[in-house]
Amino acid sequence: MELKKSDLLKMFRTMLALRAVDNRLVPLKLKDLVMDGFHPYAGEEAVAAGVCAFLRPDDYVLSTHRPQGHAQAKGASMEAIFCEMLGRMGGPSNGLGGPMQWVDTGNNFFCGSIVGSGVSYSTGFALAARREGKGRIAVCFFGDGASNTGSFHEGLNLAAIWQLPVLYVCENNQYGEAMPVKEFVSASKISARAASYGIKGKTVDGMDVKKVAAAAAEAVKTLRKGKGPAFIEAVTYRYRGHYLGDPENYRTKAEIETWRKKDPIDRLRRELAGTWKVPAAQLKAMEAEVEKLADEAQERALARPKPTLEYALSNVLVPVAGRDA
Amino acid sequence: MAERMLTYAEAIQEAIDEEMTRDPSVYVLGEDVAIWGNLFGCTKGLLAKYGKERVRDTPISEAALMGCAVGSAAAGMRPVAEIMYIDFISIAADQIINHAARWHQLSGGKVKIPLVVRTQGGVGFRNSSQHSQSLENWFVNIPGLVVVMPSTPYDVKGLLKAAIRDDNPVIFIEHKAVYRNKGNVPKEDYVVPLGKADVKRAGTDLTIIANSWMVLHALEAAEELAKSGISAEVVDPRTLYPLDEKTITDSVRKTGHCLVVNEAPADGGWSATVASMVMERCFANMKKPTARLCGRRTGIPYDKDLERAVVPRVADVVREARALLGR
Repeated sequence: MELKKSDLLKMFRTMLALRAVDNRLVPLKLKDLVMDGFHPYAGEEAVAAGVCAFLRPDDYVLSTHRPQGHAQAKGASMEAIFCEMLGRMGGPSNGLGGPMQWVDTGNNFFCGSIVGSGVSYSTGFALAARREGKGRIAVCFFGDGASNTGSFHEGLNLAAIWQLPVLYVCENNQYGEAMPVKEFVSASKISARAASYGIKGKTVDGMDVKKVAAAAAEAVKTLRKGKGPAFIEAVTYRYRGHYLGDPENYRTKAEIETWRKKDPIDRLRRELAGTWKVPAAQLKAMEAEVEKLADEAQERALARPKPTLEYALSNVLVPVAGRDA
Repeated sequence: MAERMLTYAEAIQEAIDEEMTRDPSVYVLGEDVAIWGNLFGCTKGLLAKYGKERVRDTPISEAALMGCAVGSAAAGMRPVAEIMYIDFISIAADQIINHAARWHQLSGGKVKIPLVVRTQGGVGFRNSSQHSQSLENWFVNIPGLVVVMPSTPYDVKGLLKAAIRDDNPVIFIEHKAVYRNKGNVPKEDYVVPLGKADVKRAGTDLTIIANSWMVLHALEAAEELAKSGISAEVVDPRTLYPLDEKTITDSVRKTGHCLVVNEAPADGGWSATVASMVMERCFANMKKPTARLCGRRTGIPYDKDLERAVVPRVADVVREARALLGR
């Protein structure tokens, strides 16, 4: 699929927004307003932005313990992300979930902190979507570490035998917490694991939003026709630790710098300015606007109240028919 | 309603069949639920009637089948997911405990998980230590789940229909030893509400609170006790959570004696919850502390006699009841 200038500008803006929010979450964490379970996304923005660029609002997205990028790219507002991270009313789960687990019904978005688990739900969402017959699909983001879990293998097999419209997106960010991928994944490419289930898999440069978007667009097109599943492994990198405060004794500063040179935002900025002749002033203005919006969203979120104890005790069960009537 | 005898397994099949006809979003999935129609015939004939889209044999992948069920429930379907033996539910515990039980609350009440997990537990078929356990206690302790354990064909049909219609995740635990038991199951449409206990036998001297297969033991024991002039009331809570505290406490206040019978081990379990609730609420009316009779804290042995010896038997219930009353 040929990407248009407008597609690129849209993805550029999405990546800027993701980076702007992540950058603000770091000092909020250092002030102890966001807990340790905040897992920074900086460096991986091309994956969320590229994949979500071609999704419909009614598509389902399953995400991970590092959900803020996927959530925002799928449609959540900056304010909603700040609210959930800060544990405030106004977050998708009104602050009950926090950085790793929430449910955003308005955006058909679910995430959770059990590695690999999301793969198992994606089949169910896809089954319901296919039954509905409106071309909806389920997208399941997960990391390299998830590819070693039982849910991953069981889920891929089930989706393959039932040919469910699931797009699996493996964000291979090189480390499962502190373990390098090479030391804990037996396959040379994670996409080869999909192939073993008869699922068409592709490994792409996850630092290049155009490559991610092209692979996603092609996969989504097929899935909408009810043919599935599909698998994309995006090779990427997280600039910060697994969590903020991670000792990072498993990698060198030089390695981080090597990856930072491949930064997906810088890369697209150069291309927009070069190939597409977007004036530098226009790009700067866009960046300034996103920064301002992020500041404002953060301020609004900080002004929001925490959920009450009463709220934390509510919605445990739906009133049981007959008994609670 | 006209009397009609069905087995417990037939009652289950009929409940699912009726609910599938009533609501097209209901579907069945699990290991060997379609071609075999379940080990005990509980889903027999449904594949022929409803087809492969709605009656789905899954691979032996409990996490995947439960994940599929949970995801589809969140997306508006009403899955009846079978875990062939409750012991296998450990593979799907993440899907049930961390997700099915959590999403309603995390969505601020917007997402509903109308999921029924049908499974069966307990001894009775010499299935030994990994196919015979009573694991209901795990689920009673999880906020966001309803736990049901029916003892009779009438109850199993009515409770299963209620469970399928309910918008919560319901852990529906059958017992392998009772599938062939027959009982009156009216042809007319009925549901047994979740969270409502049933007094299976009225009595005046003591209350025996039992669940699942143990209800049948308690009823036999009550018959035996009656021969020596002891009048036992047998209460079947049917739903372990939410518990019908009123029916239980009304009974204990009347009789002044309470014996709780549960096949699972006593420690950290539902039987302790019931016993403590009774003591908290009924102390002033009680003549003796609540007694409990539970499964032994051991693996279920393979030997036929030993398998029966490690869980309460009718004679054990009779003995404990007599000891409690001192008669």
